[in-house]
Amino acid sequence: MINSLLPRRQMLQQTACGFGSMAASALLARTNALAQTNRAIAADDRPQSVPKAKRVIFLFMQGGVSQVDSFDYKPLLARRDGQSYEFDDARQLARSGKGRAFRLMQSPWKFNQYGESGRWVSDLFPETARHADDMCLLHGMHTEGVAHGPATLFLHCGSTNFIRPSLGSWLLYGLGSESENLPGFISIAPSIGNGGARNYGSAFLPPRYQGTKVGGANSSTLTIDSLTRNDITHPLQQEQFELLRQLNHQQITRRPLPDAELDAAMKSHDLAWRMQQFAPETLDLSSETAETIEMYGINAAETKRYGTRCLMARRMCEAGVRFIQVNYGDDSANPAWDQHSNLPKHETHARAVDKPIAALLTDLKQRGLLEDTIVWWGSEFGRTPYAQDNGTGRDHNPRGFTVWLAGGGFRSGHAHGETDEFGFSSISGRVHMHDLHATLLHQLGLDHKELTFEHAGRNFRLTDVHGKVVNEIIA
Amino acid sequence: MRRLHFDLTGLPPTPASAENGESAAHDVASYDAQSYETLVDQLLASPHFGETFARHWMDVARYAESITLRGFVFPEAWRYRDYLVEAFNTDRPFDQMIREQIAGDLIESDDLHQKQMQHIATTFLTMANSNLEQQDKTQLEMDLIDEQLDTIGRAFLGQTIGCARCHDHKFDPIPTRDYYALAGIFRSTTALSHSNLSRWIEKPLPLSESMEHHYDSLSKTLASVKDELALLKKSSSIQLTKQNRIIPLSELNGIVVDSAAAKLVGDWTHSTSVGRLIGDGYIHDANSGKGMKTATFEPKKLPPGKYKVRLAYSAGTNRASNAVVRVFSANEQAVLRINQRKVPPEDGLWVSLGEFEFEPNGQAFVIVSNEDSNGHIIVDAIQFLPLADKSPNPNTQIALTSTRVNRSAEDEQKQKQAAEDAEIIAALEVEQKSLEQQLAARPRYMTVIENATPTDTRVHIRGDAHNLGDLVPRGFLTALPHGNASSMDANASGRLELARWLASAENPLTARVYANRIWCALMGQGIVHSMNSFGTKGVTPTHPDLLDWLALELIQNNWSTKHLVRTIVMSDAYRRRLTFDDIEQNQQQQQIDPKNEFYWRGHARRLSAESLRDAMLKVSGELDLAQGGSLIRPGTNADYNYNIDSQRRSLYQPVFRNSLPDLFEAFDFADSSVSVGQRTRSTVATQALVLMNHPWIIARANAAAVHFRQQQSSDSGDTETPHALVDSIYLHCFYRLPSDDERATCLAFLEQPSAPGKTDRLVVLIHSLFASLDFRYLP
Repeated sequence: MINSLLPRRQMLQQTACGFGSMAASALLARTNALAQTNRAIAADDRPQSVPKAKRVIFLFMQGGVSQVDSFDYKPLLARRDGQSYEFDDARQLARSGKGRAFRLMQSPWKFNQYGESGRWVSDLFPETARHADDMCLLHGMHTEGVAHGPATLFLHCGSTNFIRPSLGSWLLYGLGSESENLPGFISIAPSIGNGGARNYGSAFLPPRYQGTKVGGANSSTLTIDSLTRNDITHPLQQEQFELLRQLNHQQITRRPLPDAELDAAMKSHDLAWRMQQFAPETLDLSSETAETIEMYGINAAETKRYGTRCLMARRMCEAGVRFIQVNYGDDSANPAWDQHSNLPKHETHARAVDKPIAALLTDLKQRGLLEDTIVWWGSEFGRTPYAQDNGTGRDHNPRGFTVWLAGGGFRSGHAHGETDEFGFSSISGRVHMHDLHATLLHQLGLDHKELTFEHAGRNFRLTDVHGKVVNEIIA
Repeated sequence: MRRLHFDLTGLPPTPASAENGESAAHDVASYDAQSYETLVDQLLASPHFGETFARHWMDVARYAESITLRGFVFPEAWRYRDYLVEAFNTDRPFDQMIREQIAGDLIESDDLHQKQMQHIATTFLTMANSNLEQQDKTQLEMDLIDEQLDTIGRAFLGQTIGCARCHDHKFDPIPTRDYYALAGIFRSTTALSHSNLSRWIEKPLPLSESMEHHYDSLSKTLASVKDELALLKKSSSIQLTKQNRIIPLSELNGIVVDSAAAKLVGDWTHSTSVGRLIGDGYIHDANSGKGMKTATFEPKKLPPGKYKVRLAYSAGTNRASNAVVRVFSANEQAVLRINQRKVPPEDGLWVSLGEFEFEPNGQAFVIVSNEDSNGHIIVDAIQFLPLADKSPNPNTQIALTSTRVNRSAEDEQKQKQAAEDAEIIAALEVEQKSLEQQLAARPRYMTVIENATPTDTRVHIRGDAHNLGDLVPRGFLTALPHGNASSMDANASGRLELARWLASAENPLTARVYANRIWCALMGQGIVHSMNSFGTKGVTPTHPDLLDWLALELIQNNWSTKHLVRTIVMSDAYRRRLTFDDIEQNQQQQQIDPKNEFYWRGHARRLSAESLRDAMLKVSGELDLAQGGSLIRPGTNADYNYNIDSQRRSLYQPVFRNSLPDLFEAFDFADSSVSVGQRTRSTVATQALVLMNHPWIIARANAAAVHFRQQQSSDSGDTETPHALVDSIYLHCFYRLPSDDERATCLAFLEQPSAPGKTDRLVVLIHSLFASLDFRYLP
């Protein structure tokens, strides 16, 4: 354990038990003295890492977007369409220890070059493609887990094991929250499947770092549970709040010794009350202009759902939420982008997200938020360039896929790494999910090797004993 | 008083003196010694004692009734919970409980109930939150074994054995070889059956001889029915492949209206699952929306005349025995009730609805309805067979309207044979299903299976399941050399020996770890603060001698949990309480020992999520104190979005890893994926939000208001006096009367003129008291 961490850890653990002035609130813990400078974590003798970003918006494409149909252009795939080649298919390997031949399947979508950088993007994402010069594409991604459950947990928690904290929780633990009235870690419309709440859970980190869900994948309303009630009038709620305060005060004076935990509990009511007053405003889009609503596609049926979520994410971004996950998925066992048998259905999903994502990038940029906000787009894994069971779909592929980043001090209009000629396996500029996690933390001023928490007799970290920062993608 | 009740039963005391208006606000300290002791014994004997201590152990045993991934439900896990409740209520020696949880299936017993209990206890080994999707099954098995060892290590020894999976333990004397010596024991035990998605093991519960016999003969009958079916299907001229099952409309006589042509009201489901099918398969009502669904079968053109009308369906035990069918003909509207659990009598396909006369342009249709039916309603087709036809066998006659070709005699013979076979097959299938259902009713439990041949395991270098090192003989931790691993039976897994080794009085850790848990449950913190970690990375004990004494006391009193609990709650340390009389002294003490490690005062205690919920239900008069059994609604396959609506105690609510009730989630319920020694104790704003806004809590406040008003009017017969009402509410919520200030505050709130609308201020007051500090923090 690094000595400089000691006082900080002690404080965090104490506050977690409710003994500090900040203790009362997982939700409202503001950036505190120790977390104020993001460098607090870095040891003194290391080159100081200056934070380039303050927050993250993660656009989660649940189910696995096919890289060779979206951002990883493979002309050879079209030329060899229908031919059979041997592949180390991940499922096949796990079962039999060896690969077998599969039939290549070309992309049904055309690719075009965009922007000054000339990045290739397919017709699935024509709107997002207009931001090609803002994006940093990672073509050499690879990860763990062939099935959705493990891979999704790995994406969020850096482990296929169940008990690790989510990336957002690590961030809050490392940096605190900047928001007065909102939780510091929010997952908008998360799925209940494939790990469900674990994907935004704090696991063994103190509960104040827990992610808060806003709505659910299949629910039409986007609210925070128990944030408000409307069965009694607001004045009466105010009256009740004051009554409670008075009763608590009377009870506390009956106790012979002051008790920090009780003080914290009392304060938590004050903070909750404040949050109840102000948080709904952030979740309410009615103050947005007609142009903005239009830009996000909220008026059109196909983009309404994701557009609403993206716009809400921007508002949370402005309110200082540290980690915002904007989910596109559902609660089924074959979520959203999981086209095993019917690849053309990718188009439905692309239609639903393309315009909102483009609008979010435009909006963040015009408000000057993109500079210190990391926008991260990606799935739990990619898909195979060959057809599954000779059908018209593609199977899961953790061995090579693409994610992109924008803002937050990453190189823009840049592409890093590549997959083989068919887009199956990453061969250069390989970035493991652990490496991506390490790099994201780095941009936020945190050293993934130092961000540890002691649990069950040892120090845990997001990247376990792995991960290296990908310097090539940093501007 | 209040604390003692919560500690031993998890429930608030019932203010007995509430009725006669006496103050019940006795303190533990001022309570006279005699009656305190009587109360302790009363509470120890209460059936709720076992519930409370079962729940403590369930935290340690990472008890859950589902798995995170895909939300698979463990339908039999509750038996383990009920085992624990009974074990603690009957004060089963804890060393025995250890042996039963590790190897209860391997211990001999003559007593049936005891046999059942100890078998169920092994569920302890099987509740891992596994990744059943893992395709690398060797890896999956090693992960599960790791989970089992980790849980056993923490639960009984307070050791993190798991570290030694990859390297010799850095801080404690657990070498990697020891880890794989233990792993060998569980490698010789099967906990999962594999396929693409692996599954945990369930076995039939041992039963009385006569019941065993009954089920044996059932399964023998089932086996022979299956054999017969297989034989028949093989030899039958109609192989029941999908293609052959389908009977085209063109091959049928008369006028047939297929289910595809029916006019449907309500949601009908199309299916081709069972039996022989006419045309496009059949439709069913999904056994839902009773009285809302009808299917009308009307021939486009029916030449006038007399017809026999028949209904085709596939029989099954889940069908309705009272399907309502109406036939509308020239003169009448006939109403029939058809038993669809029976195989249709005609050709195994049809049931006759009777003979009817149809006139030109008259009504001619059949309506099948699902009104008042007690099962699935099935309709495959309706046939109108003209009776003018002379041929005795409707299947071989030449139809009036059909355009079918003439068939050879051989074909006809085949067809006839096929029909007979089909009838027998259908009957056998019904019997098979019924037998399977009867067998499914046999109680089952979650467990592991002892392998026929035990195997030792090789060291997995750096924990890699595919990078193997030296072979290690099965054994225990070498740092704890009591008991002899070499005495292990070479022909068994060693699980039984492990159980005995763990539960041995000579094991220096087991009794201490358990005594520490009991101390913590009652005193608010352990003598060793890190309950699951007695290793060098854990916290050193504050009172090592006390812990030794408690452990010895436990062993010498036959590992009796109740004895240890009694010893602790009778102690001065437990009964110590702060008073205002010596404020100065308090402050001095506070400076000397701010963390209260020397127990100079009582620890401020907070209610668990379960007690918080139970207390609200009790105050609102809604709590159902029934014990035992599974509350999982039948037919629950996945735990997603499961809505808990029972008023039973929290203990009995299903512990679903994907659907924890909001209240549990907010108030630090134990993480059911890992062994939890002591729950997190967080104070966060979400808790305040839940307390103030959660509909469930508001509903309890509403119920409580109704309850208190009723009680008051029945007690006094008078109109309610707010003063007495407030006193009564305080007594029930806090087991004390309000101070003058408090009473004044409450009365003032109640007397405020209500805002427009019908807001009940009493509800708001009770709700506020539920949310107040004293409700969840015990002094």
